[in-house]
Amino acid sequence: MNGVLIGAAGVPLAAFLLLGTVSWLGPPSGERTVSAVVVLSAATSAVLLGVTAWTGRAEVALGTWFAGFPVVLVADGWSLPTGILAALLGALIGAFSRRYLHRDPGYRRFHLLLALFVAGVQVVVLAGTLDLLVVGWELTGLASALLIAFFHRRRGPVAHGLRAFVTYRVCDVGLVGAAVVAHHSGPPLAIGLLLLWGSMGKAAQFPVGGWLPRAMEGPTPSSAICYGAISVSLGPYLLLRTAPTWSQAPAMPVLIAVVGGVTALHATLVGRAQTDVKAALAFASTTQVGLVLVEIGLGWHVLALVHLLGHAALRSAQILRSPSLLHDHHHLEQALGGPVPRTGALWERLVPRPVRLWLYRFALERGYLDALVVDRVVGGFARLVRRFAAADERWVRRIAEAR
Amino acid sequence: MTITALVERAAALLPEQGPLQAFVHHNTLHAFEHLPFTDAVTEAAGVFGTEPYQSEAAFHAHLRSGRITPDDLDAVVAAEVVDDGDPVVPGGPTLRRFHETRLRHHVEVPHGAALHWLLAETDAVDAVDPRWDLLRAVAPEPVAPAPHRRPRDRVLATTGVDPDHLVHPLLIRLTAAFLDQGVAYWSMPAREHGLLTAFRALYGRAGGPPDPFLRGLAACLREQRGRDAERTIRWALDELGVPEQDRADVITATLLSLRGWAGMVRQFELRPDRAPVEPRPARLTDYLAVQLTLDVFATRHVLATAEPVADVVARPELALVYEAFVLARLMEVPLTGRPQAAAWLAVVDGCDEVERRRLLHLAYERRHRVDVLDGLAAHQRVSARTGTPSFQAVFCLDEREESVRRHLEECCPTVETFGFAGFFGVAMNYRGVHDVRSRPLCPVVVTPRHAVVEQPIRPGREPRRIKARWTRTVSVGSRTLARGGVASVALGVTGLASLVGRCLFPRAAHRWSNRHGTPPATRLVMGFPVDEMVDIVATTLRTTGLSRALAPVVLIVGHGSSSLNNPHESAHDCGATGGGRGGPNARAFAAMANDPAVRSGLAERGIVIPGGTWFVGGYHNTSDDSMAYYDEDLVPAGHVEPLRAAKEALGTACALAAHERCRRFESAPPDLALVDALPHAETHAVDLGQPRPEYGHATNAVCVVGRRSRTRGLFLDRRAFLASYEPSSDTDDTLLAGLLAAVGPVCAGINLEYYFSFVDPAGYGCGTKLPHNITGLIGVMDGHASDLRTGLPWQMVEIHEPVRLLLVVEVGPERLSGIVRANPALDRLVSGGWIRLVAWDPETDAMHVFQDGTFQPHAPERTAFPVVGRSVEVYAGSRDHLGCAHVLAEVDVPVPVA
Repeated sequence: MNGVLIGAAGVPLAAFLLLGTVSWLGPPSGERTVSAVVVLSAATSAVLLGVTAWTGRAEVALGTWFAGFPVVLVADGWSLPTGILAALLGALIGAFSRRYLHRDPGYRRFHLLLALFVAGVQVVVLAGTLDLLVVGWELTGLASALLIAFFHRRRGPVAHGLRAFVTYRVCDVGLVGAAVVAHHSGPPLAIGLLLLWGSMGKAAQFPVGGWLPRAMEGPTPSSAICYGAISVSLGPYLLLRTAPTWSQAPAMPVLIAVVGGVTALHATLVGRAQTDVKAALAFASTTQVGLVLVEIGLGWHVLALVHLLGHAALRSAQILRSPSLLHDHHHLEQALGGPVPRTGALWERLVPRPVRLWLYRFALERGYLDALVVDRVVGGFARLVRRFAAADERWVRRIAEAR
Repeated sequence: MTITALVERAAALLPEQGPLQAFVHHNTLHAFEHLPFTDAVTEAAGVFGTEPYQSEAAFHAHLRSGRITPDDLDAVVAAEVVDDGDPVVPGGPTLRRFHETRLRHHVEVPHGAALHWLLAETDAVDAVDPRWDLLRAVAPEPVAPAPHRRPRDRVLATTGVDPDHLVHPLLIRLTAAFLDQGVAYWSMPAREHGLLTAFRALYGRAGGPPDPFLRGLAACLREQRGRDAERTIRWALDELGVPEQDRADVITATLLSLRGWAGMVRQFELRPDRAPVEPRPARLTDYLAVQLTLDVFATRHVLATAEPVADVVARPELALVYEAFVLARLMEVPLTGRPQAAAWLAVVDGCDEVERRRLLHLAYERRHRVDVLDGLAAHQRVSARTGTPSFQAVFCLDEREESVRRHLEECCPTVETFGFAGFFGVAMNYRGVHDVRSRPLCPVVVTPRHAVVEQPIRPGREPRRIKARWTRTVSVGSRTLARGGVASVALGVTGLASLVGRCLFPRAAHRWSNRHGTPPATRLVMGFPVDEMVDIVATTLRTTGLSRALAPVVLIVGHGSSSLNNPHESAHDCGATGGGRGGPNARAFAAMANDPAVRSGLAERGIVIPGGTWFVGGYHNTSDDSMAYYDEDLVPAGHVEPLRAAKEALGTACALAAHERCRRFESAPPDLALVDALPHAETHAVDLGQPRPEYGHATNAVCVVGRRSRTRGLFLDRRAFLASYEPSSDTDDTLLAGLLAAVGPVCAGINLEYYFSFVDPAGYGCGTKLPHNITGLIGVMDGHASDLRTGLPWQMVEIHEPVRLLLVVEVGPERLSGIVRANPALDRLVSGGWIRLVAWDPETDAMHVFQDGTFQPHAPERTAFPVVGRSVEVYAGSRDHLGCAHVLAEVDVPVPVA
């Protein structure tokens, strides 16, 4: 059984390495070949995990990388459904992208990154230790930041890809910290806090979720798999996976539920003012992932997993369909036999006008988070660094003059 | 000038594209139409920062591939370059010789740092060659860059920080929320009073956004409450320190900085009736007032916080010197002194990049023109007359119908086909049985006066309504908090099923989701008076020449296109119906022509429709090549069998046309079987992952106005609009004048939109479709919060050949110039060179090309073209544009394709 599980984790990684090596060394390979490698590797991974699910729980120790870093793969009730869905979505999106990106100059790059993303996700999902999980976590983060910046000749995608990348890096500190503290048998509360910190970036939780609507810069299929489905789900998955550790600290479930609840409320409010379909779907994703975190906090872990996976499938289907919105709206009007009913009428009736104006502006400005987080926190930090640099320069000059 | 007048003037430069649900093709450079084409593209390139022609590299690739021949270059240079026969410098070439050589060589001239590196680090320039120093010594002073008019440009130049990066995201959010037609769950409060009022109501309240650049905005807006937009604009311009004389430039540059959104506001202001759901009280001055107010705060903030950057020391621009040196070496020109060097430099400068691209473009178009005209002329020697028609079919003049018509004539030699503007003269406000609101179905320049409503014969309950309500509930609910949670848990499996279907089996999944039963039987209720219907039918019958001899069955075929994953779906619809679907027009026309009252009215005017003739309306979906027919239950018993035969023939022709069309899709194998063609085309139309449902008008290049007998059997590769015109029934040119007044601008609009979207896909077109994000149901953005993108996406135009429309009219040159002169719109297009006009004399067969204000005879270069039995023999195995060929079904031993 060991081979099957290793294969499930290894085949996507091997596909990425194969594609990477071939495109580095050889002449460009054909679109169909590239796509076939990506789709088949993801599908194989899904099938192998299905076989594992058939035979039941499995744990495979692959030896030790270095002392204190055992490489262990785990197939259990958490990782199997998540891994199967992730691989299945990877295969489906791969098949979809063969048509979608046909003739695009970045076709091979896209598929290479998609393969890297799926490989990273499978490592995260199947990892039996936090250390191995970190490896996959970094790979998915890198792949999704590069997918956001796919159209690198325009300013927007690069800036927003960088924003996602920086958010990931900052939050990865939490994850790596958690691994370190765990190795030193630190207190469960500390590990839990660090894990929560680590999961918040990928899950686009309040207040670091500003990158998610901006991530809708890449080609539609990459938005569907990363930001509608798998990438944002990895945060809650991390918490589900590590629940035995953090649940020893009684404060953690409360904190997780609070973060999720605040996020869900914030995102559902903000999402209501979004006028472009992809941003509206991005905030809808954040809302549901926040809700999943609440469920985790409440201890309803199985419901959380069902919710998470159901949401992933539903949302990526919606994002894939989003370019057909005009067509769908027209047909909906025809089928309804009248204009599509307005939404938000209840809101207008119940909420007094001054509050409504305030709330609407709050939603339109995305809860002022960008100004607060980017300008105040990040900007403040940058200003501080700059001030130190200036002081340093003055100091050097003074010494030089004194000589 | 008042602010309003300045805004009006600037507004002329904004994109004229309305909301995407009804896409009307138009000349992208409509604002420059008063100029000749070549001047207009250059001037617009300066205003918008866009490309005037294809790149020089692309033209040189065409030279290598033989698409442009050396003869074309020489002919263009001979016509365009005045030459006195003397060398430009002693020992050098004449001016013509210089141009001929220059255009044949692609000299890569690096600029700025790249050039300095090339000079310093490589031996690209031979240091001992005296010509280098001579040329350097006489190099002109570099021209100082134009002064910054817009305050934002000054701030950007001095600080390196772009205030637009602060202003644009907020402005995009506001404008999108203001114009939104139903994407957002909450609508913008106070938007019924206009953008500026709504902006003040929202942002004038205390406790606003903490963005540092907006500090003080709330107080400022409260103070300005009640002031009109003009006064706000004047205040903002004063605050920004814009002097009176710069106002026009600053307003124009400010509006152009986010021209997609500004243009959309303008479109809502001018054409509120075109709003997809409901109009908004949009005013461009409101929009400008908001933008300038934000500009005031952003520039202030940037100037207060950013540190000025050090001025970059300008280095002398050596690009021209380098180019002149390389050319002097290439053409072995001895430069003996400073005057010669200066003269040489001037000659090289006179043939700068834009000029070279202009000449190369003319050569590119010349090759196309000569090939097409030679093909048309050669065809007159081989084409054969047909006998009495078994049935007739009238199509839209759309170039996509060219292949359907050709295949129909190939597989059914007794058919006669005609082309007419796809609204068939029926200008109406149409409301289909399922439509929520009526829409005009006629060319955009026409305002319909009559309504036509489709009504079910038996009123019944709509079974789709429950399903639609459910779809609506899920799609809205899944975006909210609680309902979204329930939907995710309960419907995750459906999502997965939909993903599997849509990703792996797109055609089956689409059929499954659209499996509801047949639509109800309906009739049109027409509000046209009888005499107008007589006019409509008479004009169409006489112009096309149908009135000469009518067959028992006459099909009138409108067209449209339906596709998924395509925000630009309606750009594939019929241009003659104003971006709508022409089926109802065909149906209405057929109903009119079958009406006994109309027939007796026609008889009074001398047009007799025999009792044995029946008109049937049809609809051709150009995306999946399916056909639908209307009111078949009304067909008299005697016509059922001829109609069945006609439908069968047309069905076969559609399959053959789909096969011909699929060769353009790289997704189809080159040896695609005929039976697989229709499924392949259908898959393209219904696949969520397919950015190329069809190639639309991407092949348009030619328009032939004349009898079909002159082009019947000529393979035109779906590249020619074909309008039927019967010269013999047009004694006083009124029919032709009416026809050209519609055909010229409509076809030129389509052609020029494709031209510009192709030569600059990012500047004039809307770039690649892959990251497009539909906003407010009105347009697309590139990903997150970008400008509204107008023009055509790259996937739609990628196979286009950017040539100006070659309009060939079957009439003598004198009569044609008279008709053109009488129509100002057409005259502007023709004399400005926005279309290339050719008069084709019906008696002598001589062709005259309109050039430099006169008709000049066309000299044929090629007389022999391939002769084949079926079209497939011409296109099999090829994906590129193809030249003319004679397809003569009656030829027994086809001559192989050369």
